Amino acid sequence: MRRSASGWLWIVGALVLVGGCTKPPQEQPTADGKPAPPPKPAKPRVALVMKSLANEFFGTMAEGAKAHQAAAAGRYDLVVNGMRNETDVSEQVTLIEQMVARKVAAIVIAPADSKAVIPALKRAADAGVLVVNIDNRLDPAVLRETGLEAVFVGPDNREGARKAGEAVARQLSAGDGVALIEGIPTAFNSQQRSLGLEDAAMAAGLVIVDRQSGQWEMEKANAIAAAVLTEHPALKAILCANDSMALGAVAAVSAAGKSGQVLVSGFDNVPAVQPLLADGRLLVTVDQHGDRLAVEGIETALAILNQEKSPADRTTPVDLVEGQAAR
Amino acid sequence: MINKTRLSEWGGLVLVWLAIVALFGLLAEHFLSAATFTTLAGRLPALAVIAAGMTLVVVSGGIDLSVGSVMALCGAVLGLAVTQWKWPLLAAVPLAILTGAAAGLTNGLLTAGLRIPSFLVTLGLLEVCRGLSYAVSGSRTLFIGAGIEPLARPLPFLGVPATVPAALLVVVTAQILLSKTVFGRHLVAIGTNENAVRLAGIDTRRAKVTVFLLSGALAGVAAVFAVARLGSADPNAGTGLELAAIAAVVIGGTSLAGGTGSVIGSLLGVLVIATLEAGLAQLGASEPLKRMVTGGVIIAAVAADGLRRRLSADRD
Amino acid sequence: MTGRSSSPGPQPIDHSGAARPGPMPAVIQVEGISKAYSVPVLSNVSLEVLAGEVHVLMGANGAGKSTLAAIIGGLNTADSGRILRHDRPLRARSRREAQSQGIVMVLQELNLIPTLSVAENLFLDCLPHSLGFVDRKTLHSRARRALARVGLDQLEVATPLGRLGIGQRQLVEIARALERKCELLILDEPTAALSVREVEILFANIRRLQALSVGILYITHRLDELPRIASRVSVLCDGRCVAEYAGGEVAHERLIRDMAGGVVERPSPSTARLAGPMLLSVEGISGGSRREALSLGVRAGEIVGLAGLVGAGRTELLRSIFGADRRQSGTVSVAGGPPIRPGSPRAAVAAGIGMLPEDRRHDGLLLSQSVRVNATLATLSRHSRHGWLDRRSERAAAEGICTRLDVRCAGIEQPVRRLSGGNQQKVVLGRWLDAGCRVLLCDEPTRGVDAAAKATIHARLRAFVADGGAVLLASGELSELRAVCDRVLVMAEGIFVAEFGGEWSDEEVTAAAFTRAFSAEGAGSDRLWEEGKQ
Repeated sequence: MRRSASGWLWIVGALVLVGGCTKPPQEQPTADGKPAPPPKPAKPRVALVMKSLANEFFGTMAEGAKAHQAAAAGRYDLVVNGMRNETDVSEQVTLIEQMVARKVAAIVIAPADSKAVIPALKRAADAGVLVVNIDNRLDPAVLRETGLEAVFVGPDNREGARKAGEAVARQLSAGDGVALIEGIPTAFNSQQRSLGLEDAAMAAGLVIVDRQSGQWEMEKANAIAAAVLTEHPALKAILCANDSMALGAVAAVSAAGKSGQVLVSGFDNVPAVQPLLADGRLLVTVDQHGDRLAVEGIETALAILNQEKSPADRTTPVDLVEGQAAR
Repeated sequence: MINKTRLSEWGGLVLVWLAIVALFGLLAEHFLSAATFTTLAGRLPALAVIAAGMTLVVVSGGIDLSVGSVMALCGAVLGLAVTQWKWPLLAAVPLAILTGAAAGLTNGLLTAGLRIPSFLVTLGLLEVCRGLSYAVSGSRTLFIGAGIEPLARPLPFLGVPATVPAALLVVVTAQILLSKTVFGRHLVAIGTNENAVRLAGIDTRRAKVTVFLLSGALAGVAAVFAVARLGSADPNAGTGLELAAIAAVVIGGTSLAGGTGSVIGSLLGVLVIATLEAGLAQLGASEPLKRMVTGGVIIAAVAADGLRRRLSADRD
Repeated sequence: MTGRSSSPGPQPIDHSGAARPGPMPAVIQVEGISKAYSVPVLSNVSLEVLAGEVHVLMGANGAGKSTLAAIIGGLNTADSGRILRHDRPLRARSRREAQSQGIVMVLQELNLIPTLSVAENLFLDCLPHSLGFVDRKTLHSRARRALARVGLDQLEVATPLGRLGIGQRQLVEIARALERKCELLILDEPTAALSVREVEILFANIRRLQALSVGILYITHRLDELPRIASRVSVLCDGRCVAEYAGGEVAHERLIRDMAGGVVERPSPSTARLAGPMLLSVEGISGGSRREALSLGVRAGEIVGLAGLVGAGRTELLRSIFGADRRQSGTVSVAGGPPIRPGSPRAAVAAGIGMLPEDRRHDGLLLSQSVRVNATLATLSRHSRHGWLDRRSERAAAEGICTRLDVRCAGIEQPVRRLSGGNQQKVVLGRWLDAGCRVLLCDEPTRGVDAAAKATIHARLRAFVADGGAVLLASGELSELRAVCDRVLVMAEGIFVAEFGGEWSDEEVTAAAFTRAFSAEGAGSDRLWEEGKQ
């Protein structure tokens, strides 16, 4: 009893410390007698709000943005923030609110959820912050409903997934069975990729015999792929919504002794899949040029801020990357 | 502590497992096939060795929440050693296990030395090790491939990879450690009443540090198994694994209050959880259904165990 | 109790007429109750409690007293037999249901919540409230009244219960029971942890309840309490009611024989002992709250008693000698050996010291583990080779302990939780005797232990010193100190105030314990008992 009480003290103490440390630094301290600072700093401050920086796709994106800012330090200040947990929407909402409190000029955001963050972004826009949406598109219906205007800069995930699906379909014939391993079902890009894969399967007459969520994770996708391979012995291909899950699926195919008989496709073109593309165990993946994505978003934000450009959505390129076996 | 009660407990779990297998056999067309069980055999080792370490910790009245993160960290170190430093497996594997042991040692020293509850210490290490895992791997999945995959390839004659007998060896060793050695007796005693053990002139701190060290090292072993099976090291691996391990341990009849438990029981608990996962995936169950069924089975198993305990307590 | 005191008088009318003996009606009749777990615990027990009488239930631990009380109090159910209340069968399936029938049980293990205040504990199930908020004013005034009833009028009702001594907690528990509608009060060893003054208050309360026609079922081990309160005494032995006596004036010899089923082991007479060389030397030990340093020595072949009021520092002294608590200065050594590392029970055990702690359930035993595990806890190194347990040697050791100390259990695999207090204590004692220690520190070794087991423990301690061991024994019972000790050190406020060897009288020792207190504080004895407890 006593020990657990002291345990709580530890927790509270730690929280107080953390809270003290992470309190955003006071902006422009107004010392006595000094004139108030100019209302708008000459250099705009842009906040890049990501999903998990632990995810290498977003890590790459953030590095691209930092390099861009370093090269053009005179034009803007950059604040990069990521979440601890990729699926924790409330954490991202908190980040948005903190950025508004820091009085940034623009928020460039890769939303953790295509609907849940919209109210927070609307409040930001109402406070005069420009919102640019990258990567994962905010839900158009909810955008209309709330009246938030957010420029979208990003890849067409559906188009990219369709390209991957078509590449797989070229190796198969109509009537063959395929399985989908999807991302987190609530995420817009996951839904778009599933739609794109479906488009391609439908067009080529492939039959989708099973579809389950691998939650973007290698381990989970591996377990699902193994189960699906057992349950559907005639399966011809596994189409995955990202490369991590594709790695898990490839391991399951190898373990089942079906390398070469069951094709696997991915999405994102991360370094870890390069050897698999080379030896043919991964048929194709899709490169959406993640390192450029944040930079494109920032450039768009700066252009709108400087009134060089009127707000308009922009689609960034998605390219099919074919492995040894596809060629 | 292998007595009649334990045997009946294990028998009960085997029955539960058979019931789950039979149910999925009816529902899924190809569930009762060799492939299902080979897949299960491939998947079990990592969780089984983690659950073995967790059992020892829980029996001693503690808990280790850091196992999933420690496993990810060890996997990342293993991946780095093989791909970047070009170490041979014979050196990289021990390095991964040592990394786990170091994390476990930290848990143990903080828990026993500063007398902070293990729940809080390992919760802290959970975060620290996840961070280290990202830092070591640069947040990138490391592909190892042919270098490590042979470990996961089915052995001739046995039909299962070498990780399976290795994990069984770990489980049996841990069970023997728990029931046949002075160290095991000390763990049981500490989990029952640490104060009385100290006043009987026994060094409780040494046993506590050792048990956390073991748990960490076994998380390292699990990392080797997982990396071998997937052919790559994922810095995000093992998220939520501590909860799966605790569930398996509890299903296996170990009391979260400490003082009683068995490693073999935890192995059966792992078997139940992994079979459930495989069966639901073969059925193509939706994500919500999977989670609800898994949660329901955990509660049912623990409730059934509580009922059985009360009945047997009334008898003696 | 508010309800009761306003309408104290009429007891349930005797509908059945004149079937019952005595002038007062029975508040409860127990007819042929049997209960068995793996072995029979109660066989065909019948007894009754009349309104306004104190029916004392005696028996060795394990005789079935507590089980019987639990069945009447609704905590347990009988296998056969019935309980009649106002001639109607009583069916209480929980303590709460029994309480609604006017049967209130004060448990041996107190079930109060340490983090809540005294007042909140008193009225936990019926907190006065308005609009969902606790009405503190009403609560506190009601609590003050309830406490005054048991003589705790000085106690601040907002004090967290955890700060109270065990004696005060017991009184709070009784006060809580008295607040309910109560026709039968069951008290299970209520005085085991009370100081002399608290016992007086309790007895005064019992008498007042008697006057209000409440029937009381009173379980105790203390023979000296019988003449003071008993209206009737029943003795249980091995689950059977073996004797019933009217009034409290029963020869002790006779009761002890009844309880033991005819056999009593007596300690060897404490005359003509020759003390050997110094075994335990304690030099200038201090720590915790004690300011003055203490020194003492115990020779081989000698049992030294520690007397003193509750809170005089006996437990603290024993614990710091053993290293259970940190000490600030001083050295402890065994047989002229090097000083033992302070604060380490392990070092003390290695040097040959063993301890029977005051609270054996919390500090001595692994309750859910078997007799075997408990008996061999300190000697595993002897029952193992290179860390591997040797089951055969372990089992033999445990069985040896059970035989030598006459531990009554269903076998060495039985959990100690199922053993009676006396048998539990024998297991702890056996552990140290088997460990081959040379010095034993005993803190209240026979508290809550029945007379037969007490005699066994005393005999074993005498045999231990006769073989060249040394014992330092703290006890609040002067009769125990007289029975086993060669000399007695009296403590007060953390220091030694007197030493008695050979013949001494209770008055001398009590006076010594009080004198120091008087001279130091110049205050009345009442206050000292209070402080002693804190």
